[in-house]
Amino acid sequence: MVDDSVKQPESGMEQKEQSSSTPSLLSAEKLCKSFGGIAAVDNAQIFVPQGNITGLIGPNGAGKTTLFNLLSNFLRPDKGQVIFDGEPIQHLQPHQIAQQGMVRTFQVARVLSRLSVMENMLLGAQKQTGENLLRVWFRHRQVAQEERRNKEQAMSILESVGLAPQADEYAGALSGGQRKLLEIARAMMTRPKLILLDEPAAGVNPTLVNQICEHIVSWNREGMSFLVVEHNMDVIMSLCHSVWVLAEGKNLAHGTPAEIQTNSQVLEAYLGN
Amino acid sequence: MADYAGYLVYLTISTGLFGLFALGLNLQWGFTGLINFGHVAFMTVGAYATVLLSSQGVPIIIAAMAGAVLAALLGLLIGTSTLRLREDYLAIVTIGVSEFLRLVVQNEEWLTQGSFGVQSFPLPLVQFSPNPFGKGVMIAILTLIAALAGWRLWRGIFQQGKPIDLLVWGVAATTLGLLLYLSGAVALLNYTYKAGLMLLVLIALALVYGGLESLVRSPWGRVLKAIREDEQVPLALGKDVFWYKLQAFMLGGAIAGIAGAFYAWQLTTVYPTNFEPLISFYAWTIVLLGGAGNNAGTLLGAVIFWAYDSLTRFVLPQFVPLDDARLGAFRIMIIGLILMVLMVWRPQGILGRKEELTLGR
Ligand SMILES: Nc1ncnc2c1ncn2[C@@H]1O[C@H](COP(=O)(O)OP(=O)(O)O)[C@@H](O)[C@H]1O
Ligand SMILES: [Mg+2]
Repeated sequence: MVDDSVKQPESGMEQKEQSSSTPSLLSAEKLCKSFGGIAAVDNAQIFVPQGNITGLIGPNGAGKTTLFNLLSNFLRPDKGQVIFDGEPIQHLQPHQIAQQGMVRTFQVARVLSRLSVMENMLLGAQKQTGENLLRVWFRHRQVAQEERRNKEQAMSILESVGLAPQADEYAGALSGGQRKLLEIARAMMTRPKLILLDEPAAGVNPTLVNQICEHIVSWNREGMSFLVVEHNMDVIMSLCHSVWVLAEGKNLAHGTPAEIQTNSQVLEAYLGN
Repeated sequence: MADYAGYLVYLTISTGLFGLFALGLNLQWGFTGLINFGHVAFMTVGAYATVLLSSQGVPIIIAAMAGAVLAALLGLLIGTSTLRLREDYLAIVTIGVSEFLRLVVQNEEWLTQGSFGVQSFPLPLVQFSPNPFGKGVMIAILTLIAALAGWRLWRGIFQQGKPIDLLVWGVAATTLGLLLYLSGAVALLNYTYKAGLMLLVLIALALVYGGLESLVRSPWGRVLKAIREDEQVPLALGKDVFWYKLQAFMLGGAIAGIAGAFYAWQLTTVYPTNFEPLISFYAWTIVLLGGAGNNAGTLLGAVIFWAYDSLTRFVLPQFVPLDDARLGAFRIMIIGLILMVLMVWRPQGILGRKEELTLGR
């Protein structure tokens, strides 16, 4: 699926030690969320070490997307705590969490159709002077300069993911796979510490899946951490340093991809469905 | 002849102040996607605040600015209570608030004189009598604004690839614009209060238009458009969506407040009946005609709206044997019909971009 250089670099044991000894970039414990009496996420925990690609898998309806929504505060948890980069973040608004450096993408890619690909990217830039109404009028030069720098940065990310030729097209004209790619590139534009990807390969043709994986790996080499929900097992196995398994809202297992692949409980949860 | 010229000046003032009014709605709805069916509420606040404060001896310019600030505060009040909720709440609350305000104005006679109306209040530039040099400067300003408007109109049409139907509209608008410009220049030569008001409203319109254009092309405007498209996206990218919505709503309200001051100055007596819900509908018509999310289009929409209003006011009675009240209703019916035809023929509005409608979500 993905070329060999992508295979997980370290052995499983080292990984486990790292995640228990070094403080996690993101840690969530005892998270609960129910919808009308049905527990979508039930006392779940997850730890994401700095610098890793962490996987999150589970059968359909296991509560993975809901867990993402709880971590990013798009949904308020009924219970539990989330610590990101050493700070509790449950009391923060979703946009504040993004400002702290944790950016999420959506299971069904959300691009701003009637904005250009470039405008989609520029929206990702943080702390823009020109996002302040008065400064648009009174700091015209500074705003223009910043905009030029942001455009350069956006262009270099677009070039690296191969969307540069489409920069001036409407984002609505992109294919499904390209939209996923744009969404990830836009998240990169925020210069985050951690990106949460919800099924980045779903509904994407195999060639593009490969490309997306390569980008994730190369960004990870540059130090970016990822938490990835994915159904495509090849993707998970080739990308992730460690994997969490969720079933019916509960933690089922945690380990290296190799361990998870041979875990009988996990196989049962998937096959029993 | 003098009558015609006077009417054309009245037409310019109406177009200008409703252009302002609709620019406020275009910021809220066209750019940010906020559904405001009670836009007239901001105009009511702006008009009454200006009139009542200046009657108490507050300098007229400060009274008008206070009107704009109060309109913005009304936006803050409505916004903080509804902008976090689903979008239809805002639509309902704005209708409610605008009717509520009209009833307050109608019944709180101690403050507003109720349905007797505020009969006499200070008007701007009323004692002003310019010397020939002053008149020259004023005509120069008028010329500058007219030239800018013409240039912007034709640039908009050329950007659409010069389709034949737009060329026809463009020629019609230019002819009308020239007519208005000439009558305006003549009115400034034989200076009257209305001529001064016309120049004031055009200056205010040009300033607001320029300010808005730089805003909507800035990163600030980009966030608004992102909210209009899908507010989850800016939220996930670290933008305080609620705060941006509030800013757009308040700024749009303040602009409508300024339009309210001009409305009062044009009417010279204000009655609660001047602030019927129909006025909000006018603003929607103007924005839809010109193309939502397009400031130049909105101004073109205002021109077309008032040109239509005048044409039907003078031409219809010749052909349709109806009394005044029925004729009024009939004219509104026709504009509804025109809007429907427009939605079929150019759903994006006259200066809107067609490609945008064909895009999937
Ligand atoms: N907003 C919601 N309202 C009601 N039920 C929901 C909502 N979101 C998710 N659920 C339910 O919660 C469970 C977990 O869903 P989800 O998190 O989307 O699973 P996954 O992403 O793992 O496929 C499912 O049973 C789903 O029907
Ligand atoms: Mg899901």
